[in-house]
Amino acid sequence: MEASTIIYSTAAVIGTIIVAFIISIWLPGIERKFVQARIQQRIGPPISSPGIMAPLKFFFKETINPNSPLPRLYNALPLVGIIIVLFIFLFLIPEMYFLTALTSIIAIVGLLKIEEVIYVFMGSFSRSIMSLSMPFPDVIKGAAHPNIKKSFLEDLSSLRAFRLIAFGSFPLYIALFVPVAMAGSIFLGDIVAYQQLNGPVLFSLAGILGAIVYFIGYMILLNEYPFAILKTKADVIEGPYMEYAAKYRSYTYLTRGFLMFTLGALFSVLFLGIPPNILSWGILVNILVALLFPILSAFMSAFSPIFTFKQFYPVAAGVSLLGVLAILATFV
Amino acid sequence: MDENKKSSGRNVIETEITMGPVHPAALEPYRVRLFVEDEIVKDAEITVGVNHRGIERIMEGLPVEKANSLTEKICGICSNVHIWNSVMVAEKGLEIEIPERASYIRVIMGELERLHSHLLYLAHGNEVLGHETFAMRIFYIRETVMELLRMIGGNRVQYGVSIIGGVRPRCELDEMRIQKIKEGMDFIEEKVAEFADRFVSDPMIMSRITGVCPIPKKEALRLAVSGPSLRATGVDMDLRRDMECYDPFDFDVITLEGGDVKANLLMRVLEIPESIKIIRQAIKNLPGGPITDRTWEMQDTGVIKSYVEAARGRLYHSYRLEEGRVRGSIVRTPSMSNIGAMQYACIGHHITDAQLGIVQCDPCFTCTDRAIQIIKL
Repeated sequence: MEASTIIYSTAAVIGTIIVAFIISIWLPGIERKFVQARIQQRIGPPISSPGIMAPLKFFFKETINPNSPLPRLYNALPLVGIIIVLFIFLFLIPEMYFLTALTSIIAIVGLLKIEEVIYVFMGSFSRSIMSLSMPFPDVIKGAAHPNIKKSFLEDLSSLRAFRLIAFGSFPLYIALFVPVAMAGSIFLGDIVAYQQLNGPVLFSLAGILGAIVYFIGYMILLNEYPFAILKTKADVIEGPYMEYAAKYRSYTYLTRGFLMFTLGALFSVLFLGIPPNILSWGILVNILVALLFPILSAFMSAFSPIFTFKQFYPVAAGVSLLGVLAILATFV
Repeated sequence: MDENKKSSGRNVIETEITMGPVHPAALEPYRVRLFVEDEIVKDAEITVGVNHRGIERIMEGLPVEKANSLTEKICGICSNVHIWNSVMVAEKGLEIEIPERASYIRVIMGELERLHSHLLYLAHGNEVLGHETFAMRIFYIRETVMELLRMIGGNRVQYGVSIIGGVRPRCELDEMRIQKIKEGMDFIEEKVAEFADRFVSDPMIMSRITGVCPIPKKEALRLAVSGPSLRATGVDMDLRRDMECYDPFDFDVITLEGGDVKANLLMRVLEIPESIKIIRQAIKNLPGGPITDRTWEMQDTGVIKSYVEAARGRLYHSYRLEEGRVRGSIVRTPSMSNIGAMQYACIGHHITDAQLGIVQCDPCFTCTDRAIQIIKL
């Protein structure tokens, strides 16, 4: 490989990541300020607050060590999360397609699964004061069950994260396989090449159905309302993130913003055949999709109550079925 | 586990999830212990006491006017009805006839407070449901009521309208104020109707609230539930019909069936137009004349009791007067009798719905926390 090609590729990869990061830090603000706050007829936070200023502020706060059985691992998890999202995004850039196995849908699914599993660990390793009980059985106040095993709110969210791994992520993963079925390959390079020849997957019946399913899956993965059972304010509050302080909280905020952009870019690759690349005008499409998804999601969130499992199961099952139909439609 | 089964008389309980006394879903400090099995609540316990201030004890021996002012501090939401009922205790004991105009102004204030309480309930209910947009929009409607309360009482929380013998001179309703109330009522009526249409036609919300945390009529009576929460179970009971000051007004007592979250939310929605109806009648037929009669004379009395229909239910005040001072004051708030229903409503439902089960009874734990119970051993 020539030196100029290596420099060109390296510049493309680094440049794309930098651009993606700069855009991603504005996404939570756009979602909350420009859409949700407008719909809710309130002023809302400054646009820079949720994605930029809050992480920046938290980064310089004093770290408070949580009550955790494994505090180092607990604090490392947000960093692991951001690294995984970074890897997912890295493998979407065309210059990285030479790493064949890693730039496949299977690798993307695997990395997204790790991202989901992190929530389970976060919940398991945290013991917040929010659900602490008195150390003695309060029989004096008429307690009917004084000797029951006490559980923390994070345990509850951890259990919910586990359930979401089992069924909540189905829609997203099924949608990822719609372009695979159409292109006949699991490799991103082949899927992009197929769409350059035959037009975007999105402009087909299977593609439209797949895009709808993908969008619902996007909302579930990002724990957006109404699929925010992992961090419902009515019970588990912030769920797995509850005890993260200072820079660790900052990482969780950055991860969320970057995951929003990455999932938008993943959609562009799979359904439009346009990978993110700073040296191509196609990056504008990536940015547009990354902006469009949070806006649509904010609209839907603003007009939805939180689903409990009673509503979540049928919705996830119905959307997954739609995803299966989309895959079947690829064979028509 | 066997011990648990025996003590509860219900199913085997796996774990306890404790929420509170500080929790974002709770407007006030209280602790709820949810005994759960696979996220389904098998039993619940609500403990209050975090915000206890002992107002009855502070009232002991205070001059009656000063003690009445203190009752307004019992609650930040239904402050007016507390001072109104406390003043009515003294008026009953001292056999004071208040001017008719003062009675009308008190009713207007009482109904404005009911409007703001019901709107707060709807906003909080939607917030716990996770529907922040509806919550924000209802707060926007409620702001009109708060401004009207501020205009009449001079404050947004403590209005100090009722005094023994009538209402304070600053609470007189002139033409400008009456016009503003009329405009406010038109605005609230229109906006609440819009909200109600959208609320009941939203399938996602209906799926979250229909059949959730129901309290059957029989259980509601056994648990001594009061107010709109009782009427949502189908019991036709409203103390306003027994209150003399409400005699000139024509209004319907709304009852619904089921006692679930849906019935409770809709009950408040349907009671709002009734309150507006009463306010409009009061403004239209507002009599002339003075608003205060200060010619009464102090005398000692026996124990005097007074019940009123507050926004949340039956409110009880009693005390006796000795040399113009309050003795043996007792206050019982609606939430006190509704706690049992809150615990009952949670059982058998998902943890996320448990907060809805509590909220559906419109709790005001700050009111309840000041109640004291003396048990003679």
